[in-house]
Amino acid sequence: MPAFALVDANNFYCSCERAFDPALQGLPVIVLSNNDGCVISRSEEAKELGVAMGAPWFQIEQGPDAASIRQFSSNYALYGDMSRRILEVLRRWSWKVEPYSIDEMFLDLSGFGGDLVARGHAIRRDVLRETKIPTCVGIGPSKTIAKLANHLAKQRPEYAGVCDLTDPEARAVVYPSLPVGEIWGVAGATGRRLARMGIQTVDQLAALDMRQARDAFTVIGQRLVMELRGTSCLPLNMLAPQRKGVAVTRSFSHAVTDWREMSEAVATYATRATEKLRRHGLVAAGMTVFMRTNRYNGDPSYRGQVSYEIEPTQDCLILIGEALRGARSLWRPSYRYFKAGVMLHDLSPVGRMPASMFPTRDPRASARIMTALDAVNARFGRDTLRPAVTGIAREWATKAEYRSPRYTTRIDEIMKAVAI
Amino acid sequence: MDAGELPLAYTGGETTGFQSPASDYIEQGIDLSDVLDLDKPGVYLVRASGQALAARGIFEGDVLVADTAAPPRAGGVAIAFVDGECVLATLAYREGAWHLLSADGGRAPRPLGEGAAIWAMAAALVRTEV
Repeated sequence: MPAFALVDANNFYCSCERAFDPALQGLPVIVLSNNDGCVISRSEEAKELGVAMGAPWFQIEQGPDAASIRQFSSNYALYGDMSRRILEVLRRWSWKVEPYSIDEMFLDLSGFGGDLVARGHAIRRDVLRETKIPTCVGIGPSKTIAKLANHLAKQRPEYAGVCDLTDPEARAVVYPSLPVGEIWGVAGATGRRLARMGIQTVDQLAALDMRQARDAFTVIGQRLVMELRGTSCLPLNMLAPQRKGVAVTRSFSHAVTDWREMSEAVATYATRATEKLRRHGLVAAGMTVFMRTNRYNGDPSYRGQVSYEIEPTQDCLILIGEALRGARSLWRPSYRYFKAGVMLHDLSPVGRMPASMFPTRDPRASARIMTALDAVNARFGRDTLRPAVTGIAREWATKAEYRSPRYTTRIDEIMKAVAI
Repeated sequence: MDAGELPLAYTGGETTGFQSPASDYIEQGIDLSDVLDLDKPGVYLVRASGQALAARGIFEGDVLVADTAAPPRAGGVAIAFVDGECVLATLAYREGAWHLLSADGGRAPRPLGEGAAIWAMAAALVRTEV
């Protein structure tokens, strides 16, 4: 019988902050979205204070709990590296590990036998010791059950962090107490349709007639019922699917009213997007650029967006030109711009790129320059070498006032220890 | 050379005229991240500050290779958090408990437990200025 485990980090971003500053243990910690906008991760203590997911920082800052809360700007360089470390630890337990999201990993434990609960506790212990990140482990014969088990391990202290639903009898005990909304992939419209059919709990859905499941929810619903009954239908994916698009969109630190600032921002976003293309070995044949004012602060409203074909290339200098062409056509002076973005679509692997009839730059020279650019920036840190059009001071750049050091990726930001 | 043509990597074996007698014996150069195990998920770099451990050869500015997977070891150097402060201290086992020692005697030995915990053990040291 297949056996899957889902290892899910508890309040992952907050836990990453605590990993390098244990004094934060026991304090309400929150992590803010890009531009220090709203709450995207909360420690248990912050949840107990009543801080809501998505709550705007400016409200919390002025609220009664501001003094006790420790806030952080998001530090994705750190979170990405800690996620990698977790996956590396898990690979010692099974070579089949699926990084489902930055803080959730599926493990295939099929064929190992033995005491799966003990294995789950050992996995938690290893991850905690080596990355300082607390996790919960859910185990089951299908990924859907492993995910449900993980939910229980998180919610119910009696499981001590590990919940195994391999045994059908164990499932029969818990299923009636679980609302269908807790199932992976059941939300919104599907949930409402199930409610109309009188299906509210997981045991009711698991008991649904197969034909009825297919009629109501296509083959996906049928697969879900099978998975809930313990028949694995969803295999482990160890490789991320090819990206359909690359988007870099950010709000500014202040309202942008000056074309120089807007052009710097758009050029920067195009540079970032091209970096992502090269990292994934892709080229893009289409681009979308948008800019807009703030909908909520009473500023005169403007939303401009334009999509067009572009030269398929990985060269950021060419794509900056393409992005600025779009931005120029959207720019209306006198508005107070709040956000802009560059999206790349119609992606294909670089080898299968439709050859450009009249390339702007010699493709081989361009490839060499981009290789050099990436190598310098990998060695000395992002943006060490960058097109001057992306700006020097970048006053418009996203706020990250409370970002912690990038402890694991920058040599000048590593942890300090005082010899005693 | 044609623009865009990258020079081939030469490792001592790929000669154009006379065949290199070394071509069957080419080995990889030494990679310090292998030697120092920097790819292990539990390994982190930590900067030492202060001169209290100079007698152990740990100076201000040294980069320590910290291994969170390593068990505590008597006489080893631990990276530990003491009352919220990150310290570097020699570890000793006394009267059934681990203690953090202060090398210059400036602080009393601190038993692990309340407010004091090991974060990692120092496994190696990198000094970029000699």
